[in-house]
Amino acid sequence: MELTGEHRIPAPRQRVWEALQDPEVLKECIKGCQKLEKVDESNLVAKVQAKVGPVKATFDANVAIVDPVAPERYTLVGEVKGGVAGFAKGSADISLAEDGDATIMSYHAKATVGGKLAQLGSRLVDTTAKKYAADFFEAFSAKLGGGASEAETGAAPADAAVSAAPAQPNEQVSDVAPTGGGVTSNPYLWGILAFAVVILLLIALA
Amino acid sequence: MGIEGIGARVLRKEDRRFITGKGRYTDDIVERDMTHGVFVRSPHAHAKVLSMDTAAAEAMPGVIGVVTGQQLIDGAVGNIICGWMIYSKDGSPMKAAPWKVMDPEVVRHVGQPVALVVAETRAQAADAAEKIVIEYEELPALTDFSKAMDDGAPQVHEDVPNNLICDWQLGEEAATDEALATAAHVIELDLEQNRLVPNAIEPRAAIASYNEAEDHFTLNSTSQNPHVARLVLSAFYNIAPEHKLRVIAPDVGGGFGSKIYIYPEEITCLWAAKHLGRPIKWVADRTESFMTDAHGRDHVTKAKLGLDADHKFIGLKVETTANIGAYMSLFSSATPTYLYACLLAGQYTTPNIYCNVKLVYSHTTPVDAYRGAGRPEATFVVERMVEAAARQLGVSPAELRRKNFISEFPYQTPVLMNYDKADLHGLLDKGLAAIDYDGFAQRKAAAAARGKLRGIGFSCYIEACGLAPSKAVGQLGGGVGQWESAEVRVNPVGTIELLTGSHSHGQGHETTFAQVIAERFGLPTDNVQIVHGDTDKVQFGMGTYGSRSGPVGMGAIAKALDKIEAKAKKLAGHLLEADENDIVIEGGELKVAGTDKKLAWHEMTLGAYTAHNIPDDMEPGLSEKAFYDPANFTFPAGTFICEVEIDPNTGVTQVVKFVAVDDFGVIVNPNIVEGQVHGGLAQGIGQALFEACHYDDAGQLLTASYMDYCMPRADDLPNFALDHIETPNPNNPLGVKGCGEAGAIGAPAAVMNAVTDALGTEDITMPATPEKVWRAIQANRPAMAAE
Repeated sequence: MELTGEHRIPAPRQRVWEALQDPEVLKECIKGCQKLEKVDESNLVAKVQAKVGPVKATFDANVAIVDPVAPERYTLVGEVKGGVAGFAKGSADISLAEDGDATIMSYHAKATVGGKLAQLGSRLVDTTAKKYAADFFEAFSAKLGGGASEAETGAAPADAAVSAAPAQPNEQVSDVAPTGGGVTSNPYLWGILAFAVVILLLIALA
Repeated sequence: MGIEGIGARVLRKEDRRFITGKGRYTDDIVERDMTHGVFVRSPHAHAKVLSMDTAAAEAMPGVIGVVTGQQLIDGAVGNIICGWMIYSKDGSPMKAAPWKVMDPEVVRHVGQPVALVVAETRAQAADAAEKIVIEYEELPALTDFSKAMDDGAPQVHEDVPNNLICDWQLGEEAATDEALATAAHVIELDLEQNRLVPNAIEPRAAIASYNEAEDHFTLNSTSQNPHVARLVLSAFYNIAPEHKLRVIAPDVGGGFGSKIYIYPEEITCLWAAKHLGRPIKWVADRTESFMTDAHGRDHVTKAKLGLDADHKFIGLKVETTANIGAYMSLFSSATPTYLYACLLAGQYTTPNIYCNVKLVYSHTTPVDAYRGAGRPEATFVVERMVEAAARQLGVSPAELRRKNFISEFPYQTPVLMNYDKADLHGLLDKGLAAIDYDGFAQRKAAAAARGKLRGIGFSCYIEACGLAPSKAVGQLGGGVGQWESAEVRVNPVGTIELLTGSHSHGQGHETTFAQVIAERFGLPTDNVQIVHGDTDKVQFGMGTYGSRSGPVGMGAIAKALDKIEAKAKKLAGHLLEADENDIVIEGGELKVAGTDKKLAWHEMTLGAYTAHNIPDDMEPGLSEKAFYDPANFTFPAGTFICEVEIDPNTGVTQVVKFVAVDDFGVIVNPNIVEGQVHGGLAQGIGQALFEACHYDDAGQLLTASYMDYCMPRADDLPNFALDHIETPNPNNPLGVKGCGEAGAIGAPAAVMNAVTDALGTEDITMPATPEKVWRAIQANRPAMAAE
């Protein structure tokens, strides 16, 4: 199973990269995220409750980062386990490209999916995955630039994630930057891993 | 025939309750203190179970208990059996690896059960099932069974090297090779039988209960053969001896073979009902059905047909690899061997036939008999080869068949079967007339003018059903006899209960069986009650599959009726002071032939029960039992002709005409026979154009719901043109042959012959989906343009 996507985030690349450092921000941007914990510099575990059609489960994600080139690209390897709902495992290549004042995040993921997620097929879950992506980038863009991610047209504001965010997007951005700057050793990996949870969830649902 | 006798179009008696929602299926039954079971299933195709933690699940609200595979092993529950022994060509017995009910160590297909959670409600059980933590170590899976025997292929069972269960053969290889070597023409095709999911409308279900006071089990279950279920549950799975286990199969919504078998779920629920002390209901959801009901077909085949200069078939060599799945199901050894290769003569006098079948394991759901069971596969091979031969030789497919038809009966084929009687030319003649064969060229041209590709395809099938003479089955390795039993109880007031070992799950036995009695005594069918599907009521039965309820089930009824008739005549003769040989029974009366002396049926029956005036050597009452073992298989045959139109822009194939002319012997109820043919044709067309069960390379089942598994719908089907020839079966008391599978047996070849005719290529596999058809058109484009 393969998944490719591209989203334009209305913020400079460096800021996008830095914004990926705040676990709370990311947690809020991932719909249904209950837990996001760093194991070490390149490993992360997360717990996300997701629902796709008849399959509703809490997924435990286990993600590692391979070959990061800050702030341009990196590869993720990991697995998501949803108990009776099934599992996904695979890898994703992610890159951040500058596009004027904005950043284009693109990903290409390959995964094997098992259990109910495989059985119920991509026809149903594909749309769910798109909704998940839309929700994440909506919320993430809102935190960074106050605007909607431009990959979606006519997207409504993401519900839970956005409502948890402060009403003033600019204040949120100013909150983010110092946090990112505060991480000294290998500052970027942590956030990248958090984003990997989203990717893996997409893989699982796609 | 009376108005309700044999041959009458009596409306199905059972439909009233079915179409008004008053059927009583397993899931409709509620027992006191009943609990609900949910199975935890493997998400992996092949993995070691490293650990299983059930503590959190057991602590969930409403949970009564969790049953694991190890508990069943500790409880001495036996392994699941394959009931038919076959031998490899070197004489060694097939290698059937153990099938543990819930293997606690290794899972070998997605959906394999690993634990049963029992709770007060189904929702509670489902919630608790999610709390069971299982650690798996994933292992490489074998999904592509054509590579099962390759070096380095993942091994499904340790003790079965190269995943090869059996290297089986039938026929004379040397003679067939020699015939092919001397043949003027040799036709070769690679053929595939797509894997199918049975899709009974009612998913499998079970209610297991245990009465401690009587030390007695009851299983309500969606079984096609409750007595066989009880037999194996007792003899092999050690649930309880037969007299301590009652199996009831109430209304059952379809089976198509998939409900013959006794699966891990029923066994586990029975054991758990005693262990936990509460009745347990388990009802499969649709995805569980997709994952665990035994699948059908799944062959790859290389075939060669040799013809002499005069276009007579002189040799047929067939080499097949058959996917058995992860475990050997009950009839899985017979389905791709004896039920397949024995039909490779088809309707033709081919003198040399050789078939080699390699049965292999894979990490997929077990594969077993599905409507037609081996005969659709055989018919597909023979009829695709014959059609391809006609095309390559540039002769009429009808005339090539005619030239090779068997015309003298009985006919001993080179592959065991002895055909009793058929009128093959008559079937083809009727088929050609019904389809207006001569007008096809015109229809093809008209279609071309509309931008459509029109094709025509034949399928002249003969099959062996009415399973089966027990001696023959025993000689071929079958583990059971395949007779049937019946008991006719005539009540004092003259009404009748017929207890039959056949089981109706859509076949309409309540109607047809009553018609057989109505025919014999001239009684209305409303005076007859059919009792089936309960081991406490019916003496014994082998159940319903292989189109056996007509020829074998009704054969037993006829034998029991013979006994009733003889006693009734004897009693009537006594009461009427006439010779019993002069008594005739008609119109519900017993008459002395040639006089006006008569007794009403109920006067005679009352006399039998009052016993105030019966012959001295006669026992009171009027109730008789019979067991009937058929003398031979029965051989329905037919000609199917299909016409399709393909839209080259979209690749969509439409079946525009379908003629089916069948010889089922004597027809008891034309309505029901036509319904069986319609359903069979729909399934056959489904196999040819729509249905396919897909696994990915990791062994994940990708088609586990109706979003991904395409079933034929009413608007995919044409108005079928049906006709019949009635050649009474000389070996059957009623002259019947069986009609339950013919449609599914003959249709795939007819459709694919039409599709390949329209496309001008033999190179397309089932199902011929729009994508495959479109690609075949693109691949063929230069050739088509050149024509």
